[in-house]
Amino acid sequence: MKIAVCVKQVPDSETRITLAAPGPELDRSGFTRVLNPYDAFAVEEAVRIKERLGADCEITAVTIGSDRAVETLKKDCLAVGCDRAIRVNEPALENAEPLQTAKVLAAVLRRGGYDLILTGKQAIDDDSAQVGPMLAELLDCAQATVVTKLELGDGTFTATCEIEGGAALVRGSLPAVVTCQKGLNEPRLPSLPNIMKAGMKPQETLTCADLGLEIPAARSRVTTYTPPPPRAACRMVADDDPAAAARELVRLLRDEAKVI
Amino acid sequence: MPNIAVFIEQSGGTAKKVAWQMTAEARRLVDRAGGEVWAVVLGDGAAAAEAGRHGAHRVFIAGDGDFATYNSETWTRALAAFVAARRPDLLLVGATAMGKDFAPRLAARLDAACVSDCVGLDFDGGFKLRRPIFAGKCFADVAVDAPVAVAGVRPNAFPLFAGGGADAPAESFDPGLGGFTPHATIVETLTSAEKKIELTEAEVIVSGGRGLKEAANYKLIETLAATMGAAAGASRAIVDAGWVPHSHQVGQTGKTVSPKLYVAVGISGAIQHLAGMSSSKCIVAINKDPNAPIFKTADYGIAADLFEVVPALDEAIRALD
Repeated sequence: MKIAVCVKQVPDSETRITLAAPGPELDRSGFTRVLNPYDAFAVEEAVRIKERLGADCEITAVTIGSDRAVETLKKDCLAVGCDRAIRVNEPALENAEPLQTAKVLAAVLRRGGYDLILTGKQAIDDDSAQVGPMLAELLDCAQATVVTKLELGDGTFTATCEIEGGAALVRGSLPAVVTCQKGLNEPRLPSLPNIMKAGMKPQETLTCADLGLEIPAARSRVTTYTPPPPRAACRMVADDDPAAAARELVRLLRDEAKVI
Repeated sequence: MPNIAVFIEQSGGTAKKVAWQMTAEARRLVDRAGGEVWAVVLGDGAAAAEAGRHGAHRVFIAGDGDFATYNSETWTRALAAFVAARRPDLLLVGATAMGKDFAPRLAARLDAACVSDCVGLDFDGGFKLRRPIFAGKCFADVAVDAPVAVAGVRPNAFPLFAGGGADAPAESFDPGLGGFTPHATIVETLTSAEKKIELTEAEVIVSGGRGLKEAANYKLIETLAATMGAAAGASRAIVDAGWVPHSHQVGQTGKTVSPKLYVAVGISGAIQHLAGMSSSKCIVAINKDPNAPIFKTADYGIAADLFEVVPALDEAIRALD
């Protein structure tokens, strides 16, 4: 079985966005960058499948990113069990929209003939949650999104997908694109020796030209980044008697905020 | 003059609230910019009769095809056939589990612009869509540079139509599914035993965090939520500790919510949590520590022991009825 895991390096969830006023650019210089947390579930799931199947399974981590992304591929993918890595380095695709990303990833994936393509349910920077389903369409294959459980059969899969108020069981044929949700597994941490050894694993760096692909055009563009509206100062409801404080809070919510 | 198509998602024969929020906002936009609002219905047309009242000018219902159970590939094909035949400038899809599942696939099929989770919709010769990024730490205004765009719309971002629309004439369209077999299907839908209110659709949310001290105390949150007709949420800390399932998590690696009222109980206010809920209309914080960062985001705060305040709050709300 050939598994591809599509990953993205993103700013850590503790990142503060500093934006004093609306503007055309976002200062991304001070960000601490990590593997997208949802992609970690995808990497872990691939490694667990390989552990079940043994040697007859190869995992390729794929990303689009600058040299900065090499560390994520090495430490969070190769060091925890991926066998090889492919990185598309194309400065024009920095902050690309999801359809551009999906087209380039699809070109990489078409070369490999993968049975299973795993990725996170969304990246926590632009929060688009688009690349997975787009890949499935571009590759004309099955999809299962926001997956919390995945079982593989002979050329088939059954995925438990999170939906409002429950879950949907999706069954289909491989190849398939599966987007991973928290709860699917507990990602392992890389050990130091494995991080050292990860550098020995095959890593390929490509451009769109290498893929026989023109850089896909964007279909939309961000014109303005705006900070969230400032919130008014908190009104503290103080009373030694909790019951009195609670009653005053309820009064304020009903009469002043008008939300209950 | 832009024509805006709105996908009407149905659940058990009734339209999801977000569908009518979208027809309403689309109507407000075309009333300024010209053009029409088209409601697009797959399968049982029961919801179609209501579309006019919610702002739609016309209704399009898929003719042949099996739409009894949702399927990403079937929905993609049918709606792509609709877009190809009628050429709307924008197709709105609710940012629900279903909408998020097929909208990007549809956009890829149409080679269209695709903008997720919109909370603002404008037109000045081209569409301008506003959406939160970084789970709401920032907003992006996105301009569409394509003949057609698929936009996801966050539930509760827009109010319903108040203009008293007329009946909308309905016609059918060919979803182009002849001989099509999808690669995958939903074989079973599992609903949780208890009828819980979905976080992303809730008007009121009560969330608990570390301050609850132990898993068993989460029932305080569930009780207050039940009293308030609210959904029960949680901080990442108590989800990671295994107290509650991840489906309850609010924050950057959980759900991003914007209810009318968000009550944070025993939650200190880590930046990744604030990102997921700070667009709520009104925020209440209950926390023992008066210096907890959550109070900087809250509108109302009680700095006291949650084990005393929450039962008292429950009682005070019951006393309202």
